[in-house]
Amino acid sequence: MVDAKQREVVALNMVLLALAALSLGVAVWDVFSDTFRAGTDDLFLVLVCLMLALLFATPPLLWARANGLLKNPFAEEAVAEGGVDMEIAHEVHGGSDRQNSYVWGALLGLTAFEVFLAYVKVPLTLMVIILMGASIIKAALIIAYFMHLKFERLSLILTIVPTLVVLLCLFAILFPDSFRLLKMRPAEPLQKVEQKQEG
Amino acid sequence: MAEARVETLTSNDWGGGTLPYRVGHRKLGMWLFIMSDSLTFGALLVTYSYARVASVNWPTPFPFNPSIIFSTAMTFVLLSSSLTMVFAVSASKRQKRATARKWIAATMVLGLTFIALHLMEWNHLIGEGLAPFELPEEWAKAFPGASPLFGSAFFGITGLHMFHVFSGVCYLGVIAARIKKLNDDVEVAGLYWHFVDLVWMFVFPLIYLLSVDYAGVLAK
Repeated sequence: MVDAKQREVVALNMVLLALAALSLGVAVWDVFSDTFRAGTDDLFLVLVCLMLALLFATPPLLWARANGLLKNPFAEEAVAEGGVDMEIAHEVHGGSDRQNSYVWGALLGLTAFEVFLAYVKVPLTLMVIILMGASIIKAALIIAYFMHLKFERLSLILTIVPTLVVLLCLFAILFPDSFRLLKMRPAEPLQKVEQKQEG
Repeated sequence: MAEARVETLTSNDWGGGTLPYRVGHRKLGMWLFIMSDSLTFGALLVTYSYARVASVNWPTPFPFNPSIIFSTAMTFVLLSSSLTMVFAVSASKRQKRATARKWIAATMVLGLTFIALHLMEWNHLIGEGLAPFELPEEWAKAFPGASPLFGSAFFGITGLHMFHVFSGVCYLGVIAARIKKLNDDVEVAGLYWHFVDLVWMFVFPLIYLLSVDYAGVLAK
């Protein structure tokens, strides 16, 4: 009876892994196909395929982790850095007040860096990338420590974080269209062009 | 027997356990609200960026004094209010009701400071002539062809954020007044407050730091 159930679980996980591989395959195919132009359509297709791959791969990966087939490669490092004491502290009530104060200091430091950066002459694209990078690090610190998500169950983390990331990416997919709109604009305002034509 | 049943309900992540997240219903509800609300702000910020990219010119009018000094001070105040909120949550978990109340009060004061600073900043911009669909004349001259959407993006996004801070202060007031033992209310209110702080971490660089007038166009 137990064996039959075990076989069923393995078979279902294999099916899910195959579907994940298929989704990844479609994303890779799209990027390497001749028609790839990195426009809204392509970004949408790639993102949706990657999202499906993640969705399909999550249960088998969790199952493998629960059954000891997959080990966290960073686990040893984390213990070496944080030590056993910290692990126990997390068990009780998450981060300590001292740890949260350090996080606060890091957030202030990143903010100071951002303000400084606004007055350094760097290309706009590079500046946006650095500013957004710093903001994402700050958001991650707030979510992980202040909002305590680092110390919640893996299932809650897996529900919240990828969903948010994917949905925000879906918004951001519209950007190629904004560049297209800019290029479609007439060099002169339309009213002036009309006045010229009339005169 | 009962313990064994709880174990089977909670131990299995994807096996249909009725408590797969092992958090209370209040906390889960707040997380769901935060997810939906972050999409509201995400949509607004993406729309603002889209309008900015698609415009021929976009004003970058903020001088160091007062705009950047004010917004940096606001960031500092909001980050500090998050820290006091963390202390409030940790005190309530240790069942120290009076201490938790004090830290919540500190958080509320910092939240109100944020709103006061923000209103002063708004007042200054409105005084210069900025309106939701209209740029001040000086700006329109300094940035030829600049999009008048600047005002609507600025007031819309920072206004919605300020409203969130204001709601948060009211929410914290209710929680502090009705604080009970063995309850995760303070923690759930903390989640909301940190989320409001988190949103500002994106509003501040996108709205303020990317609109700094470092070339001194307006000063000339």
